[in-house]
Amino acid sequence: MSEIKAKDFAPTGDAGEEKDAAKAHFDNLKTNKPRPPKPQYAVTIAVSSRTLFNMVTERKIYEDQGLEEYVAYQRDHENEPLMPGPAFPFVKALMTVNARLRQLYPDSEELFDIVLMTNNHAQVGVRLINSINHYDLTIERFCMTGGESPTGYLEAYMTNLYLSKDSEKVSEAIEEGIAAATMFMAVKENELSDTQLRVAFDGDAVLFSDESEIIVKEGGLDTFFAHEKKFENTPLAQGPLKCFLEALGKLQRKFYAKNERLNCPIRTFLVTARSAASSGARVLKTLRSWGLEIDEALFLAGAPKGPLLQKIKPHIFFDDQMFHIEGARELGTISAHVPYGIGQKYNKGKLIESPAKKK
Amino acid sequence: MEMVSTVQNTDVKQKDADRALVVAVTTRAVFDAAAGDVYGMGVAFPLLQKVNERLLEKNPAESLLFDVVLIATDSQQQSSRIISSTSHYGLEVGRFCFSSREDLVETLVVNNVQLFLSTDRDEALQVSQKGVLSALLGRQEAPSESLRVMLCGDAIVRPDCDPVPASRGAAQSFSARLGEMRGRFGVSGSPLSIVLVTSSGGSKSCGVALQTLRSRGLSVDEAYCLAGAPRGPILSLLRPHFLLGDGVIDLED
Repeated sequence: MSEIKAKDFAPTGDAGEEKDAAKAHFDNLKTNKPRPPKPQYAVTIAVSSRTLFNMVTERKIYEDQGLEEYVAYQRDHENEPLMPGPAFPFVKALMTVNARLRQLYPDSEELFDIVLMTNNHAQVGVRLINSINHYDLTIERFCMTGGESPTGYLEAYMTNLYLSKDSEKVSEAIEEGIAAATMFMAVKENELSDTQLRVAFDGDAVLFSDESEIIVKEGGLDTFFAHEKKFENTPLAQGPLKCFLEALGKLQRKFYAKNERLNCPIRTFLVTARSAASSGARVLKTLRSWGLEIDEALFLAGAPKGPLLQKIKPHIFFDDQMFHIEGARELGTISAHVPYGIGQKYNKGKLIESPAKKK
Repeated sequence: MEMVSTVQNTDVKQKDADRALVVAVTTRAVFDAAAGDVYGMGVAFPLLQKVNERLLEKNPAESLLFDVVLIATDSQQQSSRIISSTSHYGLEVGRFCFSSREDLVETLVVNNVQLFLSTDRDEALQVSQKGVLSALLGRQEAPSESLRVMLCGDAIVRPDCDPVPASRGAAQSFSARLGEMRGRFGVSGSPLSIVLVTSSGGSKSCGVALQTLRSRGLSVDEAYCLAGAPRGPILSLLRPHFLLGDGVIDLED
C-alpha cells in the first residue's frame, strides 16, 4: 500500500523510537485508547479551536475587553464544556471512518489523525482539552502556540487539511501548499449522516486550478465554452484541495479492497457550476488522468448550489467563491471557503477594488 | 586538593542570594574557544538580562531575579581572560567560579545553583543524577522576543513509572520560582515564555501536566502534545533557549 505522504523529516534513531514505543504502550494500557497513527502514514486534519468549538461569546470578550480578560474568562469557565463548532460534525465523521478502518485493518496507521492547531494560550487550552474529553473526541495531538501563528507547525505535523475561522491563516497555509479552508457555520442545521463521511467539492479553483475561471471572468461564458471544448483532452492543473481528495480516495480504496464498496463510509461529491454538456467532460477527464475517482459529479449549469447541497447533506462543502458559500449556508450546509484564485477578486461577478494590504 | 575560588563580578550589582534564581553555566557553554566568540548560553544572555530589567522596571526592589554563575573547569583557561571577555561582551555574570571538572557538582551545590545549563548532554545528565536540576541550551539562530524555557511534560505525569530522578525535588522548586517570576508579567508581552512539550502521552495527559504545573505555581504559555509524533520538526520550530527534561533528558538536537 503506497504511502499517503512523503517522509521528509529526520528519523529519531532506533533507541529513541524504542523508548517512545515503550512509553506509548504504557500509556495505552492506562487509557485503553488506540495509539494515534504515525504522521507520515496518517491523513492529518488540523482544526482550530473556533472551528472545533463554538467560541462566539468568548471571541466577543476578547474583542471587547482584550486578551487578559479573555484568558481569565476561559479559566473561570474551564470546567464548562464548549458547544460544538462548524468542524465538529466533520470531526465526528472522521472518527466513524477510523473505527471502520480499524475493524478491517487493525494494524494499519493509514487513518485520519485530528490535530488541534490553535494560537490560543495554553491556559485556555485546559478548557479546550476538557471539552475534547467531554465529547470523547479522538484528538490526541495539539499545538497551542500562545499567540504565534500556527501555520509553521502545519508542515511539522504533516498536515493534509487545515480548517480555521481566520482567513489570513488559511491563505498563508495555501501559499505554503497545504490544503486549507475558512469554515462557516450553517444558518440552520441539516441532519447529517453518522455512519458516512460526506465531502463535497467545487471544481474550479478548489480541485482544479483557476485557469478556466480566469477565462470566464475575462472573456465571458461563450469564450469559456469554446476554450473548454478545445482543450477537453488537456488535463486542468491541480487546485489546492486536489491532494485532500486524493487522500480520501486512498482510504476509500482500502474499503473496496475488503469488498465494502457499497458500504463505504466515505463518499465524495463534485458540485460544479459547469454544465455537463458543454464543459463537464474536461473535468471528468482530468480526474481520470489523475487516477482519482469522485463518487458523484453534479453539474449545475449555473443553478444555485444551496438546494442541491441541502439534499446531499455533506459534513463539509469546499468552494472558492463566497457567493456559493453564502448560498450553501443559508440552506443548512456547513461550508468552507478556499481563498484561492481569481474568484477572490470578484464578488457576485463584479471586480472588487482590492484594499491596501494591512501591515 | 583542588580549591574552588569564587570571584564576584564587580561590574554587576550583586543579587540577593536567597531570593534570586541562581543559574550556572560553564565557560565552554558560553565562549567558543577557537573563535573567541560568544555562542550557546552567550546568545541567551541578552534575553535573560531583559527579564531582569523588566522585573526591576515593575519593582526596583525586586529580589527574584536571574543570578548567573559562570564556572570555569578548565585549568588551561586564564581567569583574567574569562573575566575580561565577560565584560567585553556585556554579559551579566554575578560570580565567577574557578573549579575543576571533578568539583563541578560541589561548586554548584555550594553556590545554591537552582539550574545548571549545558551544551553537553552527558555533562547535564551527570549533574542531574547528583540532584541538581540541569537543562540543555538550545541552538539559537533566530532572534526572539522572549527567553523561552521549555519543559518536557512526560515525567510530570508519570511520577511512578520511572525511578524517581534525583533532581525531581529541584525541578519542582525551580518550577515554583520560575512560575512566580513569570507571574509578574501578563499573558502577552512577557520577556519570559514557558513552553510545555509532551512526547508520548495523549491530550488528556498533557492537560494533566498543564494543571499539575499550575498547581505548583507555574502557568504555561505554549503547549505542544506530540503523542508519538517525531520531535525533531517541532523542536526546530519551538527554538527554546533552555530545555528542561525534568531529570530525564531525552531530547534530540
